Amino acid sequence: MIAALHRTPPILVSLALAVGLLAYWLAGATIGMLAPLGALFFYARGYLLQSLWAGLFVAFAGAAVTAVLYPDAVREAALSFGASIAVAACIGALIVRDPSRRGARDAAAHRQAPGHPGGLGAVPDDVAEGAIHPDDRAAIAQAAAYAFWTGVPQVTHYRLRQPDGSYRCTELRAEPGYGVSVDVDAMVSRPDDHWTVAESLGRTAQAVQAAKVIESLHGKAWAFDAAGKFTYVTPAAQIAIDMALEDLNCRLGEREFIDGGEVGWMRGVHPDDVDGAAATLRHCLKTGEPWNIEYRMLRATGHYVWHRISARPTRDGEGHITGWFGTSIDIDVYKKTEAALREREKHLEQLIDTVPAMIWSMSSEGRPIYLNRRIMEVTGATLDTVKAPDGALSLKKMIHPNFWELAEQTFTKSVMTGAPYNIKYLQHRAGGTYRWTQTRAEPLRDEAGKILRWYGVSVDIHDLITTQTELNLRKQELTRLIDLVPSFLWRLTPTGAPNFFNRRFIDFLGIDESDHEQSETERYAAALKAAIHPDDASRVWAEIKDCLSTGRPYAMRYRLRRHDGVYRWMDGRAEPLLGDDGSIIQWYGLSHDIDDQLRVEEALRESERSLRQLVETLPALIYCATPNGEPIYRSEKLREFLGFGLTDKDEDGQTRLTGTLDAIIHPDDLPDVKEKYGRSLATGAPYAMKHRLRRADGEYRWVETRTAALRNAEGEIVQWNGICFEIEDQVRAQEALTLTQERLARAAQAASLAELSASIAHEVNQPLAAVVANSHACQRWLVSDPPNLERAQKVIERIIRDANSAADVVGRVRALFRQTAQARIPYRIDAILFEARDLMMEEAARRRMRIEVEVEADLPSLELDHIQIQQVLVNLIRNGLEAMEPARRGVLRARTLRAGDCVRTEVRDTGMGLGAPDKVFEAFFSTKPNGMGMGLAISRTIIETHGGRLWAENNQDGGAAFIFTLPVEAKADHDQ
Amino acid sequence: MTSDDTIVFIVDDDEALREALGELLAANGVRSVPFSSAGDYIGSSKPDLPACLILDVELPDINGLELQRQIMQGDHPPIVFITGHGDIPSSVRAIKHGAVDFLTKPFSDTALLLAIRSAIAQDRETRAKRAELTLLKQRYHELSPRERDVLPLVVSGLLNKQAAAELGISEVTLQIHRRNVMQKMAASSLADLVRIAERLEIPIQHSRRMGGI
Repeated sequence: MIAALHRTPPILVSLALAVGLLAYWLAGATIGMLAPLGALFFYARGYLLQSLWAGLFVAFAGAAVTAVLYPDAVREAALSFGASIAVAACIGALIVRDPSRRGARDAAAHRQAPGHPGGLGAVPDDVAEGAIHPDDRAAIAQAAAYAFWTGVPQVTHYRLRQPDGSYRCTELRAEPGYGVSVDVDAMVSRPDDHWTVAESLGRTAQAVQAAKVIESLHGKAWAFDAAGKFTYVTPAAQIAIDMALEDLNCRLGEREFIDGGEVGWMRGVHPDDVDGAAATLRHCLKTGEPWNIEYRMLRATGHYVWHRISARPTRDGEGHITGWFGTSIDIDVYKKTEAALREREKHLEQLIDTVPAMIWSMSSEGRPIYLNRRIMEVTGATLDTVKAPDGALSLKKMIHPNFWELAEQTFTKSVMTGAPYNIKYLQHRAGGTYRWTQTRAEPLRDEAGKILRWYGVSVDIHDLITTQTELNLRKQELTRLIDLVPSFLWRLTPTGAPNFFNRRFIDFLGIDESDHEQSETERYAAALKAAIHPDDASRVWAEIKDCLSTGRPYAMRYRLRRHDGVYRWMDGRAEPLLGDDGSIIQWYGLSHDIDDQLRVEEALRESERSLRQLVETLPALIYCATPNGEPIYRSEKLREFLGFGLTDKDEDGQTRLTGTLDAIIHPDDLPDVKEKYGRSLATGAPYAMKHRLRRADGEYRWVETRTAALRNAEGEIVQWNGICFEIEDQVRAQEALTLTQERLARAAQAASLAELSASIAHEVNQPLAAVVANSHACQRWLVSDPPNLERAQKVIERIIRDANSAADVVGRVRALFRQTAQARIPYRIDAILFEARDLMMEEAARRRMRIEVEVEADLPSLELDHIQIQQVLVNLIRNGLEAMEPARRGVLRARTLRAGDCVRTEVRDTGMGLGAPDKVFEAFFSTKPNGMGMGLAISRTIIETHGGRLWAENNQDGGAAFIFTLPVEAKADHDQ
Repeated sequence: MTSDDTIVFIVDDDEALREALGELLAANGVRSVPFSSAGDYIGSSKPDLPACLILDVELPDINGLELQRQIMQGDHPPIVFITGHGDIPSSVRAIKHGAVDFLTKPFSDTALLLAIRSAIAQDRETRAKRAELTLLKQRYHELSPRERDVLPLVVSGLLNKQAAAELGISEVTLQIHRRNVMQKMAASSLADLVRIAERLEIPIQHSRRMGGI
């Protein structure tokens, strides 16, 4: 009745209300009002319901007021009315709360207009439009509309906002609920309905009727006869495929469809599906089996859409097929979803199989269900190997024996409590090895929190573990290194607070680490502050502050107090570690105990100072140079002497050495000095040289320079140390001496007889003159009156002395000759030739002549008087030079060679030659203006006394040659 | 020959010979001063007496002949050279340059003493002449400028009148000047004055006679 009432039009309600009021009026009891009021409550909803409630309230209030205000009958009537109102309100309340009515309301809501998301019945009531992800709203609306109009169930995904604001993917399945209402009267076609129904239904009337029923239920239906010829198709469907009945039934070939021919509807089927569809239909037509097939149908829009087609035969009383009716359902979304799902499942499977992780799952009881391919490949396990005979998990073949117990416990605990499972162990590998693996598993729970499955993943962390182990080792090593390194390492924050001291530093400062009230940084800072020597503190902190603000490296020396109170010198250094943006992250510092070193340095410095003072005060000029000769030090005295310091003469383009040498060495000595010094530098040989050095006042002074190389342990030259003595006076004396010596030597060695005799005469005459003079004086003293005997005596003494002196001279001359005659010793003539050459070199140079000497190798030594032979050679050379004098240049060639049992020596000049080669050896023969003509005579005598021969001849190409031979076996001819 | 008013300088590097010569001269009553080198001789102060220089040719510092050349410009005592081995060119050169004698060692005492005496006599004479000239020069310096103008004209043989005209003064004034000149120059006669002028090497400035002939 309630349901009937629900569908009753308002008129019925009004009628019921009127009847109720009439009954009330007639009966005089307000109870009669209850039925119409209840009816109103059934019908009323929304504002009508609210007004109804308001009306009831007003009526009740009015009745109550009336009852208060009016006495007796009126009050009684008012109370009765009020009670009725109250009862009506209770009934209304009951009706409104009725659950069956509520369901009806919901059902009504589900039929709301399409296009409105609220119309999706499956969407929970509390899901408002705003809860659906904005991107999905349009799709949802379309699906909903489609579902509404076509009645095809829709499966849609959309994202639904959760209470926490996140979106979660939700699948919506929308299925229509139909009210079945078939208009039986409209089953037969009307004549004007030509395009929906065949002109003649034939025997298919029953089928068409059935189709109409389906159409009313399902929206789409059709019927065809036993031969497959359509007699009815839902008009909407004909529009959708853009084919009228004629088009569908149009025969395209010679044959009928049933005989294998082609008809129009087949054009609307996807070419891939059409043959199958036609074949099954023909089969069904023949056998009467129900036709169930899915194929793609061409829509008027030009798209193929999947449909499921079903058809059933209708039979007459005798069981003959009279026709077919059927429907098609659009399953395109299903098909596509299914394909997509299959695709996704495949993809997922591939994903799971190819992800580089070992994935597995097990049931809530802990039975293995799935192992991905990778886990099987990697570990060599299969589902069978990880199952115990009872189907439970067995890890014995998967895990290293050491971990069996641990894994068992963890696993059991997780399965029991549902706590996530996380363990690291050595897992078996297909190759038989074990590798560190981390396995995690989490349970999948249903809404009620019941565990459905466990999903797990195993990750090979062997490398990680190995690396970690290695890192730990290295960290330990590093820590040990940092603590053992014999230095103090520390670290500061960018603000300068110390946050790390190494072990040694802590021990050095004596920091008490057991004090946990202070932080490490505070402890360190306090210890450091207390340890810095008060005298150094201010500059150290200032420097640190400056470094912290500027970021420049810190380097300083200061004293730090050791735990025992002793201050030690430290060399502190720190550099900032910079971040990518250039900001300072940390300061890393090192303090090195340099106390001992400093003491040693101090001692060294002291020693160096004293040495330097020694060097500076020594009365000598001292200098040092690099291995390549660059001066690097000059003593005070040398600087004073030179008048400039080490760097004063530095100029561009030349080395300091060259610049200095050019400036201080006498130009005449410079080439020699450079050559010798250069050779010493090159060979490492000590250098010694006498040369003139320019003094600050510009005067050149003779100095003797000696330089020797200072070598290191490997023998490499580290430095050149040199000393320079002023030898001016010495040189002067030496020069005088040399001069005298040279004169004497020349007199002795190169004298002509004239010089010799003049010299002898002078030596003798001098004392003789004194003797004569004294004798006269003596005579005078004696003849004077009175004779001065005393003076005479004194003079006579002098006479004797001087006479003796004259006698000595004579004796010496005699001795000279005697001595030379005896001094014959084996000597090499070539050596004498070189000596003579050297003696005459200067003279030759003065005359701009050259002396060339050629000596045969391996000449024998001869018994000879070295000085005499030298004198002969000097004579011959001088003669030659003098002979070439008019030309003012030329070459004198002297050579000595073996000739049989003699050694032959020749001196050839390039002068005018000799007029009479034999005559030149005669005494007093001279071609020279002031020559005495004795030299060659004496020379020949000397050679002959040696048993040799001296002669002269003219060269073929001009000039004279003087040749002498000396026998190898010298005759002892002393007497001659 | 007295030893007090004369002196002999001996320059020889041989000490024995210096001694012997000193002794010989001392024995003959001649005072001598020995020098071992030319430098010593030049550097020392010498008494202003008639003197003689005995000079060895071979000396350690400079040659005796060279020393002679050096001192030739000034007043110096006459030189007697002695040498160990004399050669003709040196002796000629020495004599040419005014040496009194050139003796070769050993030499006789008479030769030496003769040479010394001769040298001292020469020096004495030179000194006397030098003293006279000094006196004349002194007198000449005492002349007034005008008198010095007059003197050359007078000794040139000009007549008083001519000389006065030459100077543009009167004859009387010239005569006064001339008398003063004669007086101041201690000339006994005009001839004497001419001789004095000659000694003083006063150039004869003007001779009318030359022009007159």
